[in-house]
Amino acid sequence: MNRGSLRALLRLLAVQGAWSYERMTGIGMGYAAEPLLEDLQASDPARHAAAAVRSAGFFNSHPYLAGIALGALVRAEYDQVPANQLERLRAALPSPLGALGDQLFWVGLVPSVMSLIMLGLAAGVGWWVLPAGLLGFNLFRIATGVWGLHTGLRSGAQVGAAIGDSWLPRWTPRFGRMALLLVGAALPVVAAVELGGATTVARWTAGASGLAVLGLSWRLETRFSPLRLSVLALMMAIVLVGVWP
Amino acid sequence: MPVILHRIDDRMVHGQVVVGWGQPLAVGFIVLVDDTVAVNQWEQDLYRMGVPTEIQLYFATVEEAARDAARWREDPRNGIVLMGDVRTMDAYCRLALPVARVNLGGIHQKPGRTQRVPYVFLSPDEFAVLEGLAARGSIVTAQDLPSSVPIPLESLR
Amino acid sequence: MTATWLTLGMLLIWGTVVGVDLVSFPQALLSRPLVASAGAGFLLGDPVSGFSVGVVLELFALDVLPVGAARYPDYGPAAVGAVVLAGGGPWMVTLGLATLYALLVAGLGGWSLQVLRRANGRALQRSAAGLAAGQSDTVSALLARGIAGDVLRSFTLTGIALALALQARQIVVPVAGAAACRRASGCRTPNRSRW
Repeated sequence: MNRGSLRALLRLLAVQGAWSYERMTGIGMGYAAEPLLEDLQASDPARHAAAAVRSAGFFNSHPYLAGIALGALVRAEYDQVPANQLERLRAALPSPLGALGDQLFWVGLVPSVMSLIMLGLAAGVGWWVLPAGLLGFNLFRIATGVWGLHTGLRSGAQVGAAIGDSWLPRWTPRFGRMALLLVGAALPVVAAVELGGATTVARWTAGASGLAVLGLSWRLETRFSPLRLSVLALMMAIVLVGVWP
Repeated sequence: MPVILHRIDDRMVHGQVVVGWGQPLAVGFIVLVDDTVAVNQWEQDLYRMGVPTEIQLYFATVEEAARDAARWREDPRNGIVLMGDVRTMDAYCRLALPVARVNLGGIHQKPGRTQRVPYVFLSPDEFAVLEGLAARGSIVTAQDLPSSVPIPLESLR
Repeated sequence: MTATWLTLGMLLIWGTVVGVDLVSFPQALLSRPLVASAGAGFLLGDPVSGFSVGVVLELFALDVLPVGAARYPDYGPAAVGAVVLAGGGPWMVTLGLATLYALLVAGLGGWSLQVLRRANGRALQRSAAGLAAGQSDTVSALLARGIAGDVLRSFTLTGIALALALQARQIVVPVAGAAACRRASGCRTPNRSRW
């Protein structure tokens, strides 16, 4: 990784730092693009000036996947892609990056990690499970950022095909299902421990509700959020455990 | 019934539409009405990646959308008809069957536009077009997510 | 649990850090209520309170999708205040009150984010000429201003959350403690959760 890419990656950590309704993450994207556009300034000052203006324009995507768009748009500037096509690319990229990012991180990975931490705490693993969970999540997030920036820089205007052929669209739904399972398992354990309840019952309900959520998710995942599904499954599980001989 | 949302959003297909509206409304299909995207394969490929497999995404020009509107409304699945700007919605409403409700989900800053609510910026011309839609019987409201309170057009003046 | 000035200062800094983490920098999940509460609990020397409050608030936060321009609660500073309110009292009473308190402060935090976003928008308008010229200094200054605004927002929100929590503790803990003693026919160690 060259110095410009590293600086861009660090700057992407603050991509939402000047979030506004007018440009959303545009200012953060412009700030992150600056080190990547330095070579263009030397080779083609006129194009660089136009690219600098464009890079800070209206943009929005999932912050953890913004590197894909940043790399693709910068590469397209170096490739002399016409301005109108660049604008179309800039308008279209937020769709997959927002939707995939929301599904992968907000719907999938974040609930999974938080549920794992709660389950670890409830199981008496120790408080270190919290920093360990955070570390694991952030390593994945940074690795995704590095991969995303490289994918974008490599593919430029063909970034759509590069995303489509990558692990991202294939793995994103799996993270969602993992979240359903883990949230479903964590909810009854949390309830039982918070109330100082019986751990045997907690284990039964955790297993039953987790499996029920996973089963229900195949049919209902577009209709209910994971937590609502989990509450539904928890009630079913409590009934099951209650009538179990 | 099944087209349950006619939305104007310049971000087109994105998280608020797919997750924010799509999940609670159990949406089965989304129609993206845009004359440029409808004839541009790479843009369609990008937008398709933003939609989970259980939701079907169609692309249409305004004319195609107006032609197929009746068919979508008879579809047993819940659907969203999505457009990127006010003028496309106006053209669609003039050509297709009347639209009962028009949702302003996200229209962002451009020269000549002023902020009406945080996520809706309109120029005077665009506001007049929306007033025309309202005069022809559509209820026009701004609402980014189902959990937000709908804001009537009159309050956006 | 007693909070010294030093502890309160550290809580204020922690609340500011988790508040800024939500949107501006570095979005490393420090703003999750479980993390924010646990940190506050450790600073107070009462990690059990931190975990107990954090886990309940985390269940609320799991149902929030921070998508696009939508308004969403800011649980971080709220969770810090809630741990201060919950610590030291009879558990089954203070946990519920602390949760309610956190939800209200988190709502206030969500509103404050919108105020910040509008302020960022006004700064954009003032810098329109520099942006149109593609000046990198303008972009850097806008970003620095946005993050500084978020630091100020989070600091203020945490300050409010802590001040109100400390005031509420003066009333809640003795009243709830007395009620718990009456029910239990005598005072013992407060009933705690198993975290």
